[in-house]
Amino acid sequence: MAVEKGIVPTPIPNSKKHVNLFYSLDCEELALNVAAHCDHIILQNIKWRSFADGFPNIYINNAEELRGQHVAFLASFSSPAHVFEQLSVIYALPRLFVASFTLVLPFFPTGSFERMEEEGDVATAFTLARMLSNIPISRGGPTSLVIYDIHALQERFYFGDEVLPLFETGIPLLKQRLSQLPDANNVVIAFPDDGAWKRFHKQFDNFSVVVCNKVREGDKRIVRLKEGNATGHHVVIVDDLVQSGGTLIECQKVLAAHGAAKVSAYVTHGVFPNQSWERFLHKNESLEKAFAYFWITDSCPLTVKAIGNKAPFEVLSLAGSIANALQI
Amino acid sequence: MAATPPTFSLPRNKSFILKSSSPLHSSHILLPNPNNNKNRFRITCEINNSLRSWSIEHVREMNKDSSVNSNTNSSSSSSSLVSVSAATSSEFRTKNAKKVVLFFCDETKSLAQKIAAESDAIELRTISWGKFPDGFPNIFIPNAQSIRGQHVAFLASFSSPAVIFEQIPVIYQLPKLFISSFTLVLPFFPTGTSERMEDEGDIATAFTLARLLSNIPISRGGPTSLVTFDIHALQERFYFGDNILPCFESGIPLLKRRLQGLPDSDNIAIAFPDDGAWKRFHKQLQHFPTIVCAKVREGDQRIVRIKEGDPKGRHVVIVDDLVQSGGTLVECQKVLAAHGAGKISAYVTHGIFPNKSWARFEHDNGGHPESAFTYFWITDSCPLTVKQVMNKPPFEILSLASSISASLQI
Repeated sequence: MAVEKGIVPTPIPNSKKHVNLFYSLDCEELALNVAAHCDHIILQNIKWRSFADGFPNIYINNAEELRGQHVAFLASFSSPAHVFEQLSVIYALPRLFVASFTLVLPFFPTGSFERMEEEGDVATAFTLARMLSNIPISRGGPTSLVIYDIHALQERFYFGDEVLPLFETGIPLLKQRLSQLPDANNVVIAFPDDGAWKRFHKQFDNFSVVVCNKVREGDKRIVRLKEGNATGHHVVIVDDLVQSGGTLIECQKVLAAHGAAKVSAYVTHGVFPNQSWERFLHKNESLEKAFAYFWITDSCPLTVKAIGNKAPFEVLSLAGSIANALQI
Repeated sequence: MAATPPTFSLPRNKSFILKSSSPLHSSHILLPNPNNNKNRFRITCEINNSLRSWSIEHVREMNKDSSVNSNTNSSSSSSSLVSVSAATSSEFRTKNAKKVVLFFCDETKSLAQKIAAESDAIELRTISWGKFPDGFPNIFIPNAQSIRGQHVAFLASFSSPAVIFEQIPVIYQLPKLFISSFTLVLPFFPTGTSERMEDEGDIATAFTLARLLSNIPISRGGPTSLVTFDIHALQERFYFGDNILPCFESGIPLLKRRLQGLPDSDNIAIAFPDDGAWKRFHKQLQHFPTIVCAKVREGDQRIVRIKEGDPKGRHVVIVDDLVQSGGTLVECQKVLAAHGAGKISAYVTHGIFPNKSWARFEHDNGGHPESAFTYFWITDSCPLTVKQVMNKPPFEILSLASSISASLQI
């Protein structure tokens, strides 16, 4: 069977393991999609309630039936308030005599804004990595931790030896989608900065590439095209995540100014705080449709719920990829 | 007067009392008990010829009741305990308290200020708490390098799951800034109250919290000290790993002091709403007449009965570690009133009161013990509640500030 570079190979049916998949409430839809991909993934329920004082009152149904089984939990740490209740489940599941435990955390948050520049900076990404590194080991050994397109590549070193991070990527989904486009052979990939280039260029060997960067002109920082040719092409800007969208918009302007025929965007994680996705909508015909397509994955379920299918957004689901990762 | 200081080398685990016969310069020094497992240390005593008397910090020991007030400028006749920092051989100054830098969060600011007011040795420092647009914390400790070599403490409040994740990064980071020791003061340890592991599927969030705290990195001072008041389940002390040293304090001494100040202090009886409360507190309240209640099953119902003791004519104070809806207290009150209690008050260390449940408690100005409380004492362990019930009779706040300030000297 041909194995395309970058995609996890489909496992031989005999070796498929049954996995019991638990999930946080935000991730219900993604969990359903994952289970739909594979007969061997069984969805399980947790009773999520609260005590009067606001603290979680959690119950795992059928805990005894999990003994000797592979268990996974699909988490979403979309805001600090929801970390503690999921953490309680994550710390408890490995100790129920399960055969192995996998934590799927599609989006690893808190890594994007902070830089330790001064001694007083407090790195919350490191705090989160520490909390996850302290997941008790189960009979299957260290917990597997599946993360998509982690923001800082060094973050892999934040994790202790009790977790096995598995760094996945959403790029194969993008490539599959691009191959379906009518102008598939006119697509050029653009990276908004060197960071994005470092993260992704190896997966785009077959594509022409444009690299932008931010240059200082006096007091201002403006985006420039550093290398590559955009003229007449359908340029797809690729990055791991989007927050306000400022970087993408600056990049799009520069590409349009250099004669790009169409500009689209792909990010794995549509973080979009404060509904910042609204500025990308195709609101009415008179406005220039800046982005032809805007692809995000369903790693950030709250955003996906809010955006739905409003043009130019299209959601590429991680479900198939996660289902495969659970077989590792 | 003699100016050369006598020096002593003292072996571990021994206590030593030094008394000077001169009334102008008497001082009593009692070394910390063997719980302090630091190595042998040296103390140099300098007898000061100044007119100032010793300013002595009162150190509270675990679970012991000492009713000496802290920070008295004592005259020669009083005796008190002085804790000496054993990290280096230090000059014994008039104020030999260990200097502590105290950080705090937004919720605990007011309590932190009170604690700092108790002692010159405690210095308040701020942290800048911001948020990134995506809601995640953006935290910065100003002047981080200036705390190197200092004893550092953080006053936390985990009033809801959301704020836990804001404070944990600071708690994990402070020990790594080359400080000489780290103490986490968490007056109320939440999540222990409503859960029981009855089924294998129950998830103990108290244990999750204990795990999070047990993973605080160690600092140059060794394991982090964790100061908490009246922890709900006594077994919870075993939840903590070896990298953290829990120090279990109690608010009861504050209650006892307050009771001594009441006009009817010789007519007080203590009531425990259930056996759990009795187990927790009876040793500290031994010299009061006691009443113990119990929940008894009558058919389908559970009602509160008096198991032992007699409230008749007494000012009964119901004592428990915390209050949620207040249902238990109200049931207890009814039974006590029915048995002839003259006045009824309540004390809880932690006034959790979710959903403003404190509103059901009215003030008894005289004669209505069955429906209202004469006093309702809570501590300031739950700062959000304190803001709501301050100055609303029957509520009175007993502050943990002096107790915390003393515990920081351990």
